[in-house]
Amino acid sequence: MPRVFITGLGFVTSIGNDAATVSRSLRELRHGFEVFPPFQTPEIPVKVIGTIKDFATNSPDPEDWAFPANYKIKRELLRTMAPNGLYGQCAMLQAVADARLTEPDISNPHTGLYAASGGSPYLLHYHNDRLNKVGVMRCSPLGIVASIAGTLNFNLIAAFKIQGSSCGFSSACASSAHALGFALDDLKLGRQKRMFVVGAEDGNLDAILPFAGMRTLSLQTDPNLASRPFDAARDGFVGTGGGVALVLETEEEVVRRGVTPYAEVLGWGQASDGWNVAISHPEGSGSAAAMTLALRASGVAPEQVDYVNAHATSTLIGDISEARALRSVFQDSALRPAVSSTKALTGHGLSLAGVMESAFCALAIREGFMPGNAHLTKLDPECAGINILRTTENTPPKIVIKNSSGFGGANVALVFKRVA
Amino acid sequence: MPDAVLSNQGTNKPIPLTNKPFSPEDETALREALKRCSPSAFESAVQFRKTGNAEHVPAVVIGIIERFVEPDLRIKLKDADDDLRLIEDLGIDSLTMMEIVILVEDVLQMTINNDELRNLRTVGDVKTFIDCKIRGLALPKPTKFIPIEHIGAVMPVQPPFLFLNEASVSSTAANGKYRITGQEFFLQGHFKDNPVMPASIMLEALGQLAVLYLLEGAPTEAGKVVSPQSIFFTGCEGVRAHRICKPGDILSLSIKPKRMKMPLATFEGAIRVGQEKAVIAEEITLTFLIVDAAIAPVSINGSSAHAENLDGSPGAPATGVTPLRVAMNATG
Repeated sequence: MPRVFITGLGFVTSIGNDAATVSRSLRELRHGFEVFPPFQTPEIPVKVIGTIKDFATNSPDPEDWAFPANYKIKRELLRTMAPNGLYGQCAMLQAVADARLTEPDISNPHTGLYAASGGSPYLLHYHNDRLNKVGVMRCSPLGIVASIAGTLNFNLIAAFKIQGSSCGFSSACASSAHALGFALDDLKLGRQKRMFVVGAEDGNLDAILPFAGMRTLSLQTDPNLASRPFDAARDGFVGTGGGVALVLETEEEVVRRGVTPYAEVLGWGQASDGWNVAISHPEGSGSAAAMTLALRASGVAPEQVDYVNAHATSTLIGDISEARALRSVFQDSALRPAVSSTKALTGHGLSLAGVMESAFCALAIREGFMPGNAHLTKLDPECAGINILRTTENTPPKIVIKNSSGFGGANVALVFKRVA
Repeated sequence: MPDAVLSNQGTNKPIPLTNKPFSPEDETALREALKRCSPSAFESAVQFRKTGNAEHVPAVVIGIIERFVEPDLRIKLKDADDDLRLIEDLGIDSLTMMEIVILVEDVLQMTINNDELRNLRTVGDVKTFIDCKIRGLALPKPTKFIPIEHIGAVMPVQPPFLFLNEASVSSTAANGKYRITGQEFFLQGHFKDNPVMPASIMLEALGQLAVLYLLEGAPTEAGKVVSPQSIFFTGCEGVRAHRICKPGDILSLSIKPKRMKMPLATFEGAIRVGQEKAVIAEEITLTFLIVDAAIAPVSINGSSAHAENLDGSPGAPATGVTPLRVAMNATG
């Protein structure tokens, strides 16, 4: 089976809108949280989100949006985009440039695109509201493609004239990790030579606030304290949006094009909790099984793993469940591997999380560091027994695992390896 | 916007101006709706909404189309002639067309049906279409292909003096083709041992295409038609022949109405053979009359219809189907 490499990255995230800024934020543990103006009303108990800087998408009309001038996006494309479409588009443009891909490299039968977003509750609400107010025949003909789940893949596939495999993935917070896993399969099975994997979320009031109804969001008003994975005082996750794109290519393409990859993707695994629609398994059984399967598929022993980028979102139950899964896979080794959750810096990107954090792993592998787990003051005793990094270590990890879990008890683990 | 659902479907009555006067709130809503259009489009829309004067409509429609065209293509609209094509020239796809329609509906307070849109291909089609809607005229006829059988059925002029094998007619233009077979009776003497299509006959062919336009393409009020018996040649200006046309050549004829006010209709016309210019006529003027559809005889086989030909001779009387067959065979 062909080997598969990551050759390009693009970022629109709360901790930076380009690889250099994201890398610095990860090393220096700079978070991307701000008090979010639309939440500042008495009836909304949540106050903070991971904000996307230099973008303004708080209008249902894309022509009102503001974004950095270096992105040239025609109205013809913009009109069908939700905010997550814009973020995904910008991330794609970065990834294409980063991987030094030309138009023929992108639009051909051997190049596909998998994407994950939760759709746009914001635009769905807006268009349905208009439908009720002015009647269906005065509604935007493009409201559907701009808002329903799948809007991200519809838009990117058309914008980049993708001719190979294409699909959207919907497993909530495991979505883009699933997308990456299945993209890897397509390449390993020889179905494609190159795959784009994109995750994006609106990250606005309509996308994030409903989680407050589940009591899963942090009520912290101080942006410096809001997201604290594994900390005893954590009180829920902090929402965020943005877009991240990642380019996967087979070895043959990497050699043909003469590019330097970030990392190799060795394999992946997935397993489900079989437990609850929204609560993770108390022992982390599904997550542990996903990691075990991923290691087996990659031909890697647990003790070879240097770093785990945890799913840990800073929720009470989820972080404990993942800590237990890690203890079971790595057999209570308190030293290896190093573990951190970068959601302490970014917040939880929902469908975006898996690919965003995989891209962080790719950056860390190529640049030779392991990001610390920020905002960890007092470790939750329930999460003890794993080596959680308090600060960034400038040690190059060789083998890295990325964990993701989503509603329904879906769990995905991906294994990356440094290119020697 | 309760009055936005003014139903104009089917009947196509003139758009009744809303009973209530144009309020400051309406103006605010209009300004918001047209915020990405030129100030002149907005001003024209205000004038239209205040007065109902259809003269303001083209500026509104062009302003709205312009807003949906990519900036680098907008220059084409600056001195747009009506032949500018929406898809090919302006990059407007069917989804953008819908966006345009929804905004036009909102701004001009009218309702447009999906099936009315399908035939709008050019800027001229759109302008004419909306103008007809506003004035309550019958909707413009879409460009339609007219085969020889139908040409023979509606035209007052008949074989062997019919010089159209096929034609397509829209509300803004007509195009036709005629293949010189060499069997045309007049080629026996024009010229001796050297058959050349007479320029006067080529002008006649253009005139025939203009007649077909008047019968099949010209917008008329509902219940009114152009009487086939009323159409006669009155004059032409600026006629130049550029190329000798001989048997085997396929004449591509095109005419466009320049002015039309009963009883006179003036057209410009051109004939090409392939890419080569053959004949240009700056103006061909015909007379015509509009009559009630009920009293106009249904012209079949041109039995009661005849027309003055260019040379002043009366049109060929109906001679049954045989000459028509000859003309049909000529297309082969």
